[in-house]
Amino acid sequence: MVFSSIPFLFFFLPLCLILYYTVPGRWKNMVLLLFSLIFYAWGEPVYILLMFFATAVDYCNGRLMEKFGKTQGKRRFFLVCSVAINLSVLAFFKYADFLIATLNGLFSLQLKPLGLGLPVGISFFTFQTMSYSIDLYRRQVPVEKSYLNYLTYVSMFPQLVAGPIVRYSTVNEELQERKIGKEGIEEGLFRFMQGLFKKVLIANQAGALWEEIRALEAGQASVATAWLGAAAFTLQLYFDFSAYSDMAIGMGRMLGFHFPENFNYPLSSVSVTDFWRRWHISLSTWFRDYVYIPLGGNRKGTAKHLRNMLIVWFLTGLWHGAAWNFVLWGLYYGVLLALEKYVWGRALESLPKAVRHLYALLIVVVGFVIFVFDDMEALGVYFRAMAGCAGNSLWGTECLWYLQNYMAVLLPAVLLAFPLYPWVKEKIRTMGSRGRTAAALVSMAGYVLLFLVTVAFLVNDTYNPFLYFRF
Amino acid sequence: MSIDIVNGISNAVNYNIGQKWMEGTGEQRMKEQETGEKKIRTLTALLLMGITLLLPVLFLAMDKKEFSENENRYLAKFPIWGLERIKEGEYMEDLESYLADHFPFRDFFMEMKTKAEMWTGKKEINGIYMAKDGYLIEEYEKPENTERIGQILKTFAQELEGQNAELRLMLVPTAVSVYREKLPDYAPVRNQMETARMIYEISGIEPVDCSGDLEAQKEKVELYYRTDHHWTTMGAYAGYQAYCRAAGLEAVALEEMTSRTAAEDFRGTVYSKSGDYGRKGDEIIIYTNPSDKLKVEYADTGEVTDSLYNLEYADMKDKYSLFLDNLHSLIEITNETADSDRELVLIKDSYANSMVPFLVHHYKRIYVFDTRYYKQGVSSFIKEHPGVTDVLLLYNMNTLDSDLGIRGVY
Repeated sequence: MVFSSIPFLFFFLPLCLILYYTVPGRWKNMVLLLFSLIFYAWGEPVYILLMFFATAVDYCNGRLMEKFGKTQGKRRFFLVCSVAINLSVLAFFKYADFLIATLNGLFSLQLKPLGLGLPVGISFFTFQTMSYSIDLYRRQVPVEKSYLNYLTYVSMFPQLVAGPIVRYSTVNEELQERKIGKEGIEEGLFRFMQGLFKKVLIANQAGALWEEIRALEAGQASVATAWLGAAAFTLQLYFDFSAYSDMAIGMGRMLGFHFPENFNYPLSSVSVTDFWRRWHISLSTWFRDYVYIPLGGNRKGTAKHLRNMLIVWFLTGLWHGAAWNFVLWGLYYGVLLALEKYVWGRALESLPKAVRHLYALLIVVVGFVIFVFDDMEALGVYFRAMAGCAGNSLWGTECLWYLQNYMAVLLPAVLLAFPLYPWVKEKIRTMGSRGRTAAALVSMAGYVLLFLVTVAFLVNDTYNPFLYFRF
Repeated sequence: MSIDIVNGISNAVNYNIGQKWMEGTGEQRMKEQETGEKKIRTLTALLLMGITLLLPVLFLAMDKKEFSENENRYLAKFPIWGLERIKEGEYMEDLESYLADHFPFRDFFMEMKTKAEMWTGKKEINGIYMAKDGYLIEEYEKPENTERIGQILKTFAQELEGQNAELRLMLVPTAVSVYREKLPDYAPVRNQMETARMIYEISGIEPVDCSGDLEAQKEKVELYYRTDHHWTTMGAYAGYQAYCRAAGLEAVALEEMTSRTAAEDFRGTVYSKSGDYGRKGDEIIIYTNPSDKLKVEYADTGEVTDSLYNLEYADMKDKYSLFLDNLHSLIEITNETADSDRELVLIKDSYANSMVPFLVHHYKRIYVFDTRYYKQGVSSFIKEHPGVTDVLLLYNMNTLDSDLGIRGVY
């Protein structure tokens, strides 16, 4: 089920929340679990067994680690078990066909692909459960004694399919006991709505623009249009992904949980390093804490540091999808980050801010073009169009057409990609009570109107893709 | 509603729900002096929740329509249970379509989306260009099956080698091509006739290119409906003239026929798709040749009439269906007073329906096939009917690419 859909918004969520608020405290987890399982089974009825299996493995390993793990050595055994099983599951369901295709290509073999559908959210929940096992091994979290609680944590529908990657350590206390108050429900609702508007009114529309430009025959798109397309996809991906995080965080808040923030205006970065501190934060910190630092981080000399960066960015790329373009995309960032660290980072900082913004944005946009084409040949064609060596002109009237048709999406998208909203909020906070009341009324009208328009788009919707099916 | 009343409601509801919501903490917050700002915030949340609860309740309470007049299609039915269907996820998919199709105020929301897009400068909505002079024009999507369609037609032609019948192919451009000047500024246009040329070439069938006739007349008469994807009777007449030239017939002049307005306020498919439901409809004009003595037999229903029109459709939504009674797998039309003994097999989509009234004058018998529904193979039919002297394949360029019917020609 997609959050931005009629069944979810008008049936699943209200029903879940009504029940959740009605039942007494100790039953709340059960309601949450039940609805999470329905949510997961909605699109993938069979893979629910996989979810049971994966959580059971980690739960048992956790209990065993506590019971028999008197020494770190013994504890390590259970940790290795857990991580190995998780990675195998992930490898089998997500990467088997990729590996087969690669082997077939390298050695001209005729292995048959398995053709398994990717279980929704597998990349997210395997990473979550691994974080539990590792943190437990490091004695950073207490063991979870209730399987149902553990399953509730992993399957929790707000964050199940597209993150943020909520670590057990973040929510273990709230799993036992949490405060549900009016404040949290309101805040959560508004946050959810913001995400919903971003997804339906911006991401989906920017996506439609990208699809239109992508469908142009080679040579038909001028350089300007090709760049407009790349920008449209960048906006689509950012708004789609961050909207999902907004909705997840918002629903978490309504349920009494505090999930970590996942995005911090990444398109307003001033360097690549800055970008990765702001983009998909729960993933980059996961790799930092569980791969990069254990490998030694930057403390063991330049050579090792470079090696570690390469490993982490290779994995980050691969995590995003089972195709070479994702690996390439990861390595592209690995290399650029290394260059910023060791070559031009200092020089960059002395440049005017506008130039640094432009520099980061250019790298990000080009990066997302690598990200979007899993067909290397198509990627090459598109890059040639962007560079103007596809026999295309610099500028064409078709660009005006797209600009005119999508102005109403592009303009607010660009504005909202920068921290305009917090700035306005801060301005309002410092106003007098009259001004604040007026602002609240405007925001009320805004929420209601945007919600109705969003419903109108959903009712009519033909284009509501789900970008994370690969993750 | 004045703001005082709103505040009053907000306070009352706030207190009641607030009690339930307050688990653990929050007591002290309740005691806090609530400012106007906070009240409005709460009210906003309540309004949003109210909408979210009201719409599904209305959904459950309201009668479900079977058919959408505006969209001209049957709405989804409540899905059937079944373990297998649940396992495959089909049940859930159907349930989602059912919810979307019967959503309360669906037409209102559809129109709201379109209006919102129009206000913000969008000139293409749901694949429809908001064109000049009140025209709604369907876009021409990137063709995907050109080669395949060409090959199918080629096979069909090969099947008929050695038959006496003359084979012709007429691919009709749609409004997006003929009325390209009416499209909004800068709208990108794919060349339909380029695709048509490729299909003519691959199939090897004698082409009947009517685009010249349409181009020549487009300033003088309205060749396409403003709100529908079909050509008008005048468009069909231009196509008929092109065909007559190719087949060596003498086209009957319009003045020799009687005309009448069969329907007014025809709001067609493009209108439905656009979601811009405030527009005026089109007129449908029909022609009859008083000298024709017709017998029209519908093979699938067994019905026999003497008219090419079913005017019952004039009062319905889909008024274009009044030509040849909408969809039939095979229609046999006999004209006792035809000006020749020739027999025509017409394999076509709905564009041909408005051209048949002109063609009947020249053929003793016309067999009209819709290969989406006729499954026995038209080529074997032709072989079994040696009287057939002409075969015309007629399709419009917009639906040709996705028209699965064409695969059934042989």
